[in-house]
Amino acid sequence: MSLTGTDNFFEDFKPGDLFRHARGKTVTEMDNVLITHLVMNTAQGHFNEHQMKETEFGHRIVFGGITASMVIGLAYQDTGEQALAELEMDGIRFPSPVFHGDTLYAYTEVVSAEDGDRPDAGIVTFRHWGVNDRDQIVFEGVRRVLIKRRPT
Amino acid sequence: MDASTLRARARPWPKGHTFEDFTVGDRFEHHWGRTLTESDTVTFSALTLSYNPAHFNAEYARGQGHQGLVVNPMLVFLTVFGLSVQDLSEAGGAFLGVNALTFHRPVAVGETLTAASTVTAIRESKSRPTQGIVTWHTEGRSGAELIIDFERTNLIRKRDAEERP
Repeated sequence: MSLTGTDNFFEDFKPGDLFRHARGKTVTEMDNVLITHLVMNTAQGHFNEHQMKETEFGHRIVFGGITASMVIGLAYQDTGEQALAELEMDGIRFPSPVFHGDTLYAYTEVVSAEDGDRPDAGIVTFRHWGVNDRDQIVFEGVRRVLIKRRPT
Repeated sequence: MDASTLRARARPWPKGHTFEDFTVGDRFEHHWGRTLTESDTVTFSALTLSYNPAHFNAEYARGQGHQGLVVNPMLVFLTVFGLSVQDLSEAGGAFLGVNALTFHRPVAVGETLTAASTVTAIRESKSRPTQGIVTWHTEGRSGAELIIDFERTNLIRKRDAEERP
Protein backbone atom coordinates (compact mmCIF):
# COMPACT_ATOMS: atom_id res chain seq x y z
CA MET A 1 0.00 0.00 0.00
CA SER A 2 1.19 3.47 -0.80
CA LEU A 3 0.94 6.49 1.48
CA THR A 4 -0.34 8.66 -1.35
CA GLY A 5 -2.77 8.42 -4.27
CA THR A 6 -2.19 7.16 -7.78
CA ASP A 7 -4.30 9.58 -9.83
CA ASN A 8 -2.61 12.90 -9.07
CA PHE A 9 0.83 12.80 -10.69
CA PHE A 10 2.17 15.32 -13.19
CA GLU A 11 0.93 13.24 -16.13
CA ASP A 12 -2.63 13.41 -14.80
CA PHE A 13 -2.99 17.17 -15.37
CA LYS A 14 -4.03 18.42 -18.80
CA PRO A 15 -4.47 22.14 -19.57
CA GLY A 16 -8.17 23.00 -19.58
CA ASP A 17 -9.17 20.32 -17.08
CA LEU A 18 -11.61 21.71 -14.49
CA PHE A 19 -12.18 19.84 -11.23
CA ARG A 20 -14.64 20.15 -8.37
CA HIS A 21 -12.95 18.80 -5.24
CA ALA A 22 -14.81 16.22 -3.16
CA ARG A 23 -15.07 17.83 0.26
CA GLY A 24 -16.55 21.07 1.52
CA LYS A 25 -15.48 22.71 4.78
CA THR A 26 -17.54 24.82 7.17
CA VAL A 27 -15.11 27.41 8.51
CA THR A 28 -15.63 27.62 12.25
CA GLU A 29 -14.76 30.19 14.87
CA MET A 30 -12.16 27.70 16.10
CA ASP A 31 -10.46 27.58 12.67
CA ASN A 32 -10.35 31.35 12.20
CA VAL A 33 -9.38 32.44 15.68
CA LEU A 34 -6.89 29.60 16.23
CA ILE A 35 -5.02 30.11 12.96
CA THR A 36 -5.19 33.93 13.13
CA HIS A 37 -3.47 33.80 16.52
CA LEU A 38 -1.13 30.94 15.54
CA VAL A 39 0.35 33.11 12.77
CA MET A 40 0.53 36.24 14.98
CA ASN A 41 -2.00 38.21 12.92
CA THR A 42 -2.90 41.07 15.28
CA ALA A 43 -5.87 42.49 13.33
CA GLN A 44 -8.82 42.52 15.75
CA GLY A 45 -11.35 42.23 12.95
CA HIS A 46 -10.62 38.51 13.07
CA PHE A 47 -10.91 37.99 16.85
CA ASN A 48 -12.82 40.86 18.55
CA GLU A 49 -16.55 40.19 18.10
CA HIS A 50 -17.52 43.17 20.29
CA GLN A 51 -15.65 45.64 18.10
CA MET A 52 -16.90 44.09 14.87
CA LYS A 53 -20.57 44.50 15.94
CA GLU A 54 -20.16 48.23 15.25
CA THR A 55 -18.97 47.74 11.65
CA GLU A 56 -20.63 47.14 8.30
CA PHE A 57 -19.75 43.44 8.70
CA GLY A 58 -21.47 42.96 12.07
CA HIS A 59 -19.25 40.02 13.01
CA ARG A 60 -15.64 38.92 12.94
CA ILE A 61 -14.52 38.09 9.42
CA VAL A 62 -12.26 35.18 8.55
CA PHE A 63 -8.65 36.21 7.82
CA GLY A 64 -8.18 36.05 4.04
CA GLY A 65 -4.99 34.06 4.46
CA ILE A 66 -7.07 31.36 6.12
CA THR A 67 -9.68 31.46 3.36
CA ALA A 68 -6.85 30.98 0.85
CA SER A 69 -5.35 28.15 2.91
CA MET A 70 -8.71 26.38 3.31
CA VAL A 71 -9.55 26.57 -0.39
CA ILE A 72 -6.10 25.38 -1.45
CA GLY A 73 -6.36 22.78 1.34
CA LEU A 74 -9.65 21.47 -0.04
CA ALA A 75 -7.86 21.13 -3.40
CA TYR A 76 -4.61 19.80 -1.94
CA GLN A 77 -5.09 16.03 -1.87
CA ASP A 78 -5.74 16.25 -5.61
CA THR A 79 -3.30 19.00 -6.60
CA GLY A 80 -0.62 18.98 -3.89
CA GLU A 81 -0.29 15.48 -2.44
CA GLN A 82 2.48 14.69 -4.92
CA ALA A 83 4.03 18.16 -4.74
CA LEU A 84 7.77 18.35 -4.22
CA ALA A 85 7.68 22.12 -3.82
CA GLU A 86 5.26 25.01 -3.95
CA LEU A 87 6.80 27.60 -6.30
CA GLU A 88 4.64 30.69 -6.81
CA MET A 89 1.20 32.23 -6.36
CA ASP A 90 -0.34 35.19 -8.13
CA GLY A 91 -3.66 36.98 -8.63
CA ILE A 92 -4.94 36.14 -5.16
CA ARG A 93 -8.28 37.92 -4.63
CA PHE A 94 -11.12 37.78 -2.13
CA PRO A 95 -14.30 38.94 -3.89
CA SER A 96 -16.57 38.23 -0.86
CA PRO A 97 -15.82 38.05 2.88
CA VAL A 98 -16.06 34.76 4.79
CA PHE A 99 -17.85 34.51 8.16
CA HIS A 100 -17.85 31.81 10.82
CA GLY A 101 -20.25 29.08 9.71
CA ASP A 102 -19.78 29.62 5.97
CA THR A 103 -19.11 26.45 4.00
CA LEU A 104 -16.41 26.57 1.34
CA TYR A 105 -15.98 24.42 -1.77
CA ALA A 106 -12.95 24.35 -4.06
CA TYR A 107 -12.62 24.24 -7.83
CA THR A 108 -9.42 23.96 -9.86
CA GLU A 109 -8.55 24.53 -13.50
CA VAL A 110 -5.28 23.28 -14.99
CA VAL A 111 -3.71 26.28 -16.74
CA SER A 112 -0.50 24.63 -17.95
CA ALA A 113 1.79 21.65 -17.41
CA GLU A 114 5.44 21.96 -18.39
CA ASP A 115 8.81 20.31 -17.84
CA GLY A 116 10.84 21.43 -14.84
CA ASP A 117 14.53 21.35 -13.99
CA ARG A 118 14.42 17.82 -12.65
CA PRO A 119 13.50 14.75 -14.69
CA ASP A 120 11.24 13.17 -12.07
CA ALA A 121 8.83 16.12 -11.81
CA GLY A 122 7.08 18.83 -13.82
CA ILE A 123 5.57 22.23 -13.14
CA VAL A 124 1.79 22.56 -13.11
CA THR A 125 0.00 25.90 -12.97
CA PHE A 126 -3.45 25.76 -11.38
CA ARG A 127 -6.18 28.36 -11.03
CA HIS A 128 -8.20 27.78 -7.86
CA TRP A 129 -11.59 29.14 -6.87
CA GLY A 130 -13.32 29.04 -3.50
CA VAL A 131 -17.14 29.21 -3.47
CA ASN A 132 -19.35 29.61 -0.39
CA ASP A 133 -22.74 28.02 0.31
CA ARG A 134 -24.47 31.12 -1.13
CA ASP A 135 -22.66 30.58 -4.47
CA GLN A 136 -20.42 33.62 -3.99
CA ILE A 137 -16.78 33.48 -5.06
CA VAL A 138 -14.70 34.04 -1.92
CA PHE A 139 -11.25 33.26 -3.31
CA GLU A 140 -9.46 33.16 -6.63
CA GLY A 141 -5.78 32.62 -7.27
CA VAL A 142 -3.10 31.04 -9.45
CA ARG A 143 -0.57 28.58 -8.02
CA ARG A 144 2.56 27.05 -9.61
CA VAL A 145 3.77 23.80 -8.12
CA LEU A 146 6.44 21.18 -8.83
CA ILE A 147 4.67 17.80 -9.01
CA LYS A 148 6.17 14.31 -9.19
CA ARG A 149 5.91 12.32 -12.39
CA ARG A 150 4.34 8.88 -12.05
CA PRO A 151 7.08 6.45 -10.93
CA THR A 152 7.92 3.89 -13.59
CA MET B 1 -12.26 51.93 39.89
CA ASP B 2 -15.25 50.81 37.88
CA ALA B 3 -15.23 50.21 34.15
CA SER B 4 -16.59 53.61 33.14
CA THR B 5 -13.96 55.38 35.27
CA LEU B 6 -11.23 53.27 33.72
CA ARG B 7 -12.47 54.11 30.23
CA ALA B 8 -12.62 57.81 31.03
CA ARG B 9 -9.23 58.09 32.72
CA ALA B 10 -7.00 55.71 30.78
CA ARG B 11 -4.80 56.99 27.98
CA PRO B 12 -5.12 54.89 24.79
CA TRP B 13 -2.01 53.00 23.66
CA PRO B 14 -2.89 52.57 20.00
CA LYS B 15 -1.44 50.09 17.53
CA GLY B 16 -1.03 50.22 13.78
CA HIS B 17 -0.69 52.91 11.10
CA THR B 18 -3.17 54.88 9.07
CA PHE B 19 -3.15 55.72 5.36
CA GLU B 20 -1.32 59.04 5.88
CA ASP B 21 1.58 57.25 7.60
CA PHE B 22 2.69 55.50 4.39
CA THR B 23 5.05 56.94 1.76
CA VAL B 24 6.35 54.98 -1.21
CA GLY B 25 9.77 53.62 -0.31
CA ASP B 26 9.15 53.46 3.46
CA ARG B 27 10.58 50.28 4.95
CA PHE B 28 9.35 48.41 8.03
CA GLU B 29 11.34 45.75 9.90
CA HIS B 30 8.48 43.86 11.55
CA HIS B 31 8.36 42.76 15.17
CA TRP B 32 8.90 39.45 16.96
CA GLY B 33 9.95 36.84 14.42
CA ARG B 34 8.56 33.31 14.76
CA THR B 35 10.19 29.88 15.04
CA LEU B 36 8.04 27.39 13.15
CA THR B 37 7.67 24.14 15.09
CA GLU B 38 6.48 20.63 14.33
CA SER B 39 3.30 21.40 16.21
CA ASP B 40 2.67 24.44 13.99
CA THR B 41 2.94 22.63 10.67
CA VAL B 42 1.02 19.55 11.80
CA THR B 43 -1.80 21.59 13.37
CA PHE B 44 -2.03 23.99 10.43
CA SER B 45 -1.90 21.23 7.78
CA ALA B 46 -4.55 19.17 9.57
CA LEU B 47 -6.89 22.15 10.15
CA THR B 48 -6.65 23.22 6.51
CA LEU B 49 -6.89 19.67 5.06
CA SER B 50 -3.50 20.14 3.37
CA TYR B 51 -2.81 16.51 2.70
CA ASN B 52 0.80 16.30 1.57
CA PRO B 53 2.54 13.92 4.01
CA ALA B 54 5.81 15.90 3.86
CA HIS B 55 4.06 18.45 6.14
CA PHE B 56 3.05 15.98 8.87
CA ASN B 57 4.86 12.63 8.34
CA ALA B 58 8.57 12.97 9.16
CA GLU B 59 9.56 9.61 7.67
CA TYR B 60 7.90 10.51 4.38
CA ALA B 61 9.66 13.89 4.39
CA ARG B 62 13.03 12.23 5.04
CA GLY B 63 12.31 9.85 2.15
CA GLN B 64 12.08 12.92 -0.07
CA GLY B 65 15.53 14.09 1.04
CA HIS B 66 14.47 16.50 3.78
CA GLN B 67 15.94 16.45 7.31
CA GLY B 68 12.48 16.17 8.83
CA LEU B 69 9.06 17.74 8.42
CA VAL B 70 8.73 20.48 5.82
CA VAL B 71 6.73 23.45 7.06
CA ASN B 72 3.49 23.83 5.12
CA PRO B 73 4.23 26.65 2.62
CA MET B 74 0.88 28.33 3.30
CA LEU B 75 1.86 28.49 6.97
CA VAL B 76 5.13 30.17 5.96
CA PHE B 77 3.08 32.69 3.94
CA LEU B 78 0.56 33.35 6.71
CA THR B 79 3.23 33.69 9.42
CA VAL B 80 5.25 36.25 7.46
CA PHE B 81 1.97 38.02 6.66
CA GLY B 82 0.91 37.87 10.32
CA LEU B 83 4.17 39.39 11.55
CA SER B 84 3.60 42.33 9.16
CA VAL B 85 0.06 43.16 10.26
CA GLN B 86 0.70 45.57 13.14
CA ASP B 87 2.92 47.80 10.99
CA LEU B 88 0.88 47.59 7.81
CA SER B 89 -2.81 46.79 8.11
CA GLU B 90 -3.93 46.45 11.71
CA ALA B 91 -5.74 49.80 11.67
CA GLY B 92 -8.33 48.26 9.40
CA GLY B 93 -9.52 48.00 5.86
CA ALA B 94 -10.14 44.97 3.70
CA PHE B 95 -7.34 42.73 2.48
CA LEU B 96 -7.66 43.07 -1.30
CA GLY B 97 -5.11 40.63 -2.67
CA VAL B 98 -1.62 39.26 -3.19
CA ASN B 99 0.44 39.13 -6.37
CA ALA B 100 3.88 37.84 -7.36
CA LEU B 101 4.35 35.50 -4.42
CA THR B 102 7.47 33.29 -4.64
CA PHE B 103 8.39 30.44 -2.31
CA HIS B 104 12.19 30.53 -2.69
CA ARG B 105 12.81 27.20 -0.95
CA PRO B 106 11.15 24.77 1.46
CA VAL B 107 11.35 25.69 5.17
CA ALA B 108 12.41 23.08 7.73
CA VAL B 109 10.88 22.71 11.17
CA GLY B 110 12.90 24.76 13.68
CA GLU B 111 13.72 27.63 11.34
CA THR B 112 13.02 31.15 12.59
CA LEU B 113 11.35 33.58 10.21
CA THR B 114 11.46 37.37 10.30
CA ALA B 115 9.52 39.77 8.09
CA ALA B 116 10.11 43.18 6.53
CA SER B 117 8.12 45.28 4.06
CA THR B 118 8.53 48.25 1.73
CA VAL B 119 5.70 50.51 0.54
CA THR B 120 5.46 50.19 -3.26
CA ALA B 121 2.23 52.02 -4.18
CA ILE B 122 -0.34 54.36 -2.65
CA ARG B 123 -3.61 55.50 -4.19
CA GLU B 124 -7.04 56.79 -3.30
CA SER B 125 -10.08 54.53 -3.26
CA LYS B 126 -12.83 55.73 -5.60
CA SER B 127 -15.56 53.86 -3.75
CA ARG B 128 -14.40 54.48 -0.16
CA PRO B 129 -13.41 58.09 0.63
CA THR B 130 -12.53 57.21 4.26
CA GLN B 131 -9.94 54.67 3.13
CA GLY B 132 -7.00 54.53 0.75
CA ILE B 133 -5.23 51.66 -1.03
CA VAL B 134 -1.67 50.70 -0.12
CA THR B 135 0.59 48.05 -1.66
CA TRP B 136 3.67 46.67 0.09
CA HIS B 137 6.43 44.29 -0.95
CA THR B 138 6.92 41.88 1.96
CA GLU B 139 9.92 39.60 2.47
CA GLY B 140 10.27 36.67 4.87
CA ARG B 141 13.77 35.54 5.82
CA SER B 142 15.42 32.73 7.73
CA GLY B 143 18.59 34.37 8.97
CA ALA B 144 19.72 36.45 5.99
CA GLU B 145 18.23 34.07 3.43
CA LEU B 146 15.11 35.09 1.52
CA ILE B 147 12.43 32.42 1.98
CA ILE B 148 9.30 34.05 0.58
CA ASP B 149 8.31 37.39 -0.93
CA PHE B 150 5.03 38.81 -2.17
CA GLU B 151 3.11 41.99 -2.94
CA ARG B 152 0.08 42.66 -0.76
CA THR B 153 -2.62 45.29 -1.27
CA ASN B 154 -5.06 46.51 1.39
CA LEU B 155 -7.61 49.18 1.99
CA ILE B 156 -6.28 51.31 4.88
CA ARG B 157 -8.29 53.64 7.10
CA LYS B 158 -7.52 57.34 6.92
CA ARG B 159 -6.54 59.12 10.12
CA ASP B 160 -9.60 61.34 10.40
CA ALA B 161 -12.02 58.51 9.64
CA GLU B 162 -14.05 57.11 12.49
CA GLU B 163 -12.13 54.25 14.07
CA ARG B 164 -13.18 50.82 12.93
CA PRO B 165 -11.47 47.55 12.31
